[in-house]
Amino acid sequence: MGITTVRVTNRPGLRDPAGEDVLYEIRHALGIAPVEHVRTARVYRFEGISEKDARLLAEKLLAEDVFEVYTINKPVITDAASVVEVAYRPGVMNPEAASLSKSARDLGVTGLAAAASSREYAFYGGGVTAADIETILDRLLVNPTVETVMRAEPDTLLISGRPGETKIIPIRQMDDAALMDLSRDKLFLNLEEMRLIRDYFISRRRDATDCEIETLAQTWSEHCGHKTFKAELVVNGRKKEPLLKRLQQATARAGHPLVLSAFVDNSGVMEFYHGWAVCGKVETHNSPSAIEPYGGAMTGSGGVFRDIMGTGQGAKVIASTDMFCFAPPDIKPEAIPPGCLHPHYLLRRVVAGVRDYGNRMGIPTNNGSVHFHRDFRAKPTVIVGAYGLLPVSRAQKGRAQPGDLVVVIGGRTGRDGIHGATFSSGEMTHRTTEVNASAVQIGHPIEEKRTLDALLAAAEEGLIRAVTDCGAGGFASAVGEMGAETGVEVRLEQAPLKYQGLSPWEIWLSESQERMVLAVAPENLDRVLAICRGLNVEATVLGAFAAHRRLLVTWHGTVVCDLEMEFLHHGLPRRRMEACWQPPEEAAAPLTTLPANWTEAYGRVMAHLNVCSKEPIVRMYDHGVQGTNGLPPFSGLHGDGPNDAVLLTPLPGRPEAVVISHGLNPVLNRSDPYYGGLWAAAEAVSNAVAAGANPEEMVLIDNFIWPFPDPESLGALDRAVDACVDFVDTTGMPFISGKDSLSSTYRGADGTVIKIPPVLCVSAFGRVPDINRTVSADFKGAGNKITLVGKRTVSEMGGSVYCDLYGQPGGSPPRIDLSVLTGVLTAVHRAIAAGKVLACHDISEGGLAAALAEMCFGGGLGAAISIPAAENPVHFLFNETAGCFLVETAPDTDPAALFAGVPHQMLGTTVAGDRISAAGLFSVSLTALKRAWQEPMARIFGSMRAGNEGRGE
Amino acid sequence: MKKPRVCVLRTDGTNCDRETARAFDLAGGAPQMVHVNQLRTGEEKLAAYQIMVIPGGFSYGDDVHSGKVLAVELTSFLKEQLQEFVTAGKPLLGICNGFQVLVRTGLLPGGRTDEISAALMANDSGRFECRWIELLVENNHCLFTRGLAGRVLSFQAAHGEGKFFAREDTLAAIEQAGQVVFRYAGAGGGPAGNYPDNPNGSLHAIAGICNPGGTVLGLMPHPERFVERTQHPNWRRGETGEPHGLAIFRNAVHYAREI
Repeated sequence: MGITTVRVTNRPGLRDPAGEDVLYEIRHALGIAPVEHVRTARVYRFEGISEKDARLLAEKLLAEDVFEVYTINKPVITDAASVVEVAYRPGVMNPEAASLSKSARDLGVTGLAAAASSREYAFYGGGVTAADIETILDRLLVNPTVETVMRAEPDTLLISGRPGETKIIPIRQMDDAALMDLSRDKLFLNLEEMRLIRDYFISRRRDATDCEIETLAQTWSEHCGHKTFKAELVVNGRKKEPLLKRLQQATARAGHPLVLSAFVDNSGVMEFYHGWAVCGKVETHNSPSAIEPYGGAMTGSGGVFRDIMGTGQGAKVIASTDMFCFAPPDIKPEAIPPGCLHPHYLLRRVVAGVRDYGNRMGIPTNNGSVHFHRDFRAKPTVIVGAYGLLPVSRAQKGRAQPGDLVVVIGGRTGRDGIHGATFSSGEMTHRTTEVNASAVQIGHPIEEKRTLDALLAAAEEGLIRAVTDCGAGGFASAVGEMGAETGVEVRLEQAPLKYQGLSPWEIWLSESQERMVLAVAPENLDRVLAICRGLNVEATVLGAFAAHRRLLVTWHGTVVCDLEMEFLHHGLPRRRMEACWQPPEEAAAPLTTLPANWTEAYGRVMAHLNVCSKEPIVRMYDHGVQGTNGLPPFSGLHGDGPNDAVLLTPLPGRPEAVVISHGLNPVLNRSDPYYGGLWAAAEAVSNAVAAGANPEEMVLIDNFIWPFPDPESLGALDRAVDACVDFVDTTGMPFISGKDSLSSTYRGADGTVIKIPPVLCVSAFGRVPDINRTVSADFKGAGNKITLVGKRTVSEMGGSVYCDLYGQPGGSPPRIDLSVLTGVLTAVHRAIAAGKVLACHDISEGGLAAALAEMCFGGGLGAAISIPAAENPVHFLFNETAGCFLVETAPDTDPAALFAGVPHQMLGTTVAGDRISAAGLFSVSLTALKRAWQEPMARIFGSMRAGNEGRGE
Repeated sequence: MKKPRVCVLRTDGTNCDRETARAFDLAGGAPQMVHVNQLRTGEEKLAAYQIMVIPGGFSYGDDVHSGKVLAVELTSFLKEQLQEFVTAGKPLLGICNGFQVLVRTGLLPGGRTDEISAALMANDSGRFECRWIELLVENNHCLFTRGLAGRVLSFQAAHGEGKFFAREDTLAAIEQAGQVVFRYAGAGGGPAGNYPDNPNGSLHAIAGICNPGGTVLGLMPHPERFVERTQHPNWRRGETGEPHGLAIFRNAVHYAREI
């Protein structure tokens, strides 16, 4: 039997929000006016069942008669000017297919060979041209990496193919040119590394298999091997220790008593309370997100969640965070380099990916930020973090023992993400989207959720010796690492596949998501399999750990990979890399003129993309699932005042809290990587302290997203690492996890080189003994005192939003004074813990003015402040020194006593009403400021239209 | 007094199960996680429980329609057990995805598994949204809201498909029979028509309904996310009294003790 197609759409006259969303984008992002109306239909195809059974499925499963209509094997929307169907490309796994098969089985339909789903878009409007439709498809609806326009009915839905043979690569005969040909676009190894591989096989008196070459390339990739961070550096001719070593040594010097595991496991672990520990990991997913933002962001979230799941002997994921950098969404399309996607599309699709993965897995996404700069137009920065809870007794990285079984649980293996690890290590070029299409896939959060459920059940019964996730490099990386100390034998034909036709090396390297690898003692196997079966999780024994310290992979008895662990993991010599560093030139003196119109200036700062409210994004994330949230992203009178950090109470009924926050400022990283680095770290911890966290019980995670490490970029990176080390040495807060991604350079065919702004994102997490001794940022009442705590040199306006808006020189960037920072953090923490603080907000982009306005928004209150006569009011209001706080205290509290010994000054008081006034200077309407602050993201996400019945436009 | 046993139904993609169990625990029930597979194999039986709850989440990824795949599974394999449970007058609660499942099995609003007469459609906004909203408790006979009529409760709504929809005649019948339990409320406490007070465009601002007997309740917002004081976003701004979700779970536990 052939294919039966069922099409379903809402009954005529009912709203179609998916269609309205597309229409909004067509109008606002593409500016195509003739399209008057868009409707959508869902298309389901079933292979191998009768039309009668298809009708049964339509009525019982696919179409609800209350609001939908369906057709079989004919169009369902017949009155539109144009109807287009968009489907996933063959081989891109559509998670819905498995549900269709399951429900068909449940309904007693037999013989179903394959099922697929896709979507139809119907465009209405007299003047819609074919060119309009092409633009809409190209720019909005079809990402050719994973999707295609269905122009004819398919002959079959089945993916078939015969497994490819293992190829022998005659590497022993290759000269340098041949070696580099082999590496290019695929292995991303340099000549020296390729020669080492050749020499290894010459010494073994045999040629290599494709599987061996691929295994070496991924293990030695920048993504997995961190070659730059481990390299010996020569900066301006002077030798310096490797970057990673310096960070690790700083952590060791800090000797923090709460740290249980740093830099050795899939995430860093610190002690919580009552026998529990919390762990944190932050990852980047820039390269996949740049070419397929939805799938890229999804797999980014999925991957970092698995890092948490694969910590110790298994951890529960309790929070997700997301930090993005994009070009401004209103940038002209012609400014976008070839091979790159427009930021308006990227932003919306990345947010959708993070949303769909976290929400469906039931992990609250609670903390994040979005930053904009024109130079992210060639590649966005997409950072996703996750945090977990696990018992202290299972918090140490597990070690597989000879004889333990290699068990893979979760999703099946397909041709997804082949070369993801090596691809992530390469630069973005105009060829990137063509060559690396297979590096991206669509995530399946439900698969990961049930895998998490099974993993935790097995962990609770103590059945897991060691666990790691299949991320970049797939089985090769996961199994290769777990067996590094012992050796391992894998029978690759055991791996469950999504479809036939994969070569052995593809199975071995595939980065199919939602898979975890466990080391299980043989006596525990049956129980692990039973747990998995009960939760619909596939579990398979792939092989066993050995004692021979070799990586031995076979395919139906034939050896396809036989490498010594020593060569694989230690055969790569430490690189020696040159870096040069020139201190930034003395910046021009900052502007001193005052704005002619304060109301306008204040409003423009609040509306700046790096200051404006990100609420429409946050609202799409479920931040309340798990019921743990004790300080949400937004609170206050109208639920729209932003907070600095999130506080979670992960132990039911207990007051102990986990605090999570972060900081980054790409503009500063570029102008001065040292002070930009300090700013990021200070901002991260200030956000947590503003909520009441104790700086003595906090740890850090670093993420360096840097241009390709040429000497100049490497020199800047070296300075950023110096900043991190100095921060640890001064504050005592150690880094316990981190990641680097050194491919933020774009090279166009015409020789264009764009260095994406370097990003250092610092994440902070810690523990708080009592949620009741924490504060939110919204002002609590009129007549209270407002005090500024912290040290600023207000003329340091470099990199500020104000100077960006007015195109004026800013002078030096804020130079955070580490010698006073710890004292300030401690003083603010103590004041909050003593119950003396009603509200607290830290100062970041937009300066004191933005922080003050946000506290007013949250409280529904105004403020009356005075600016010291000696200060330039623009500097005073808009300087962006991190590590400074606005604090609200009751009238009978004496701030001078509370903050004795650290820099502080009384600013003024909270007042009833709608105005912020500065004595003798201005009085501005909060309503106007709030409107300006909320408008930019509302416009991008079209949330103004929601529920507005008059939007027939 | 013996604690009523609560079946917390789980399957692939269920994700509000632990906090829902916790809410019943606080209310004096004895919750137990039960995977739908355990009911299908007969390892567990619904008859052994006094209360059943289908928690929130994304069962089977909400593929096709939210809650649909689980609804098909339940009506294909567990129809008799479910119908028996409802006929016995035992409390059955569906929260968010659980509400979607109950509507898609036909258990709401009609109380029978053979006819689907309402739907939870995609939000008018076209997207998932998470925000705290106010709910007006209607004066009716639902066991879960005893003593709450006329009150305005704060709960978090977090869903992408929560627009309550039914044809005019069905709506009229539901209203007539007093099956509307919760409506989204505006600033004055009255029913809210507009976004964001009505977060999804639900007809008649309906946020939750019960079966004609008042023993089966489904609602989109999450009462289990407000059973501790610090779960409210503005707990620092003053007392909200007892967390608003507790009474719903306690009512079910008390009722189950009586039957």
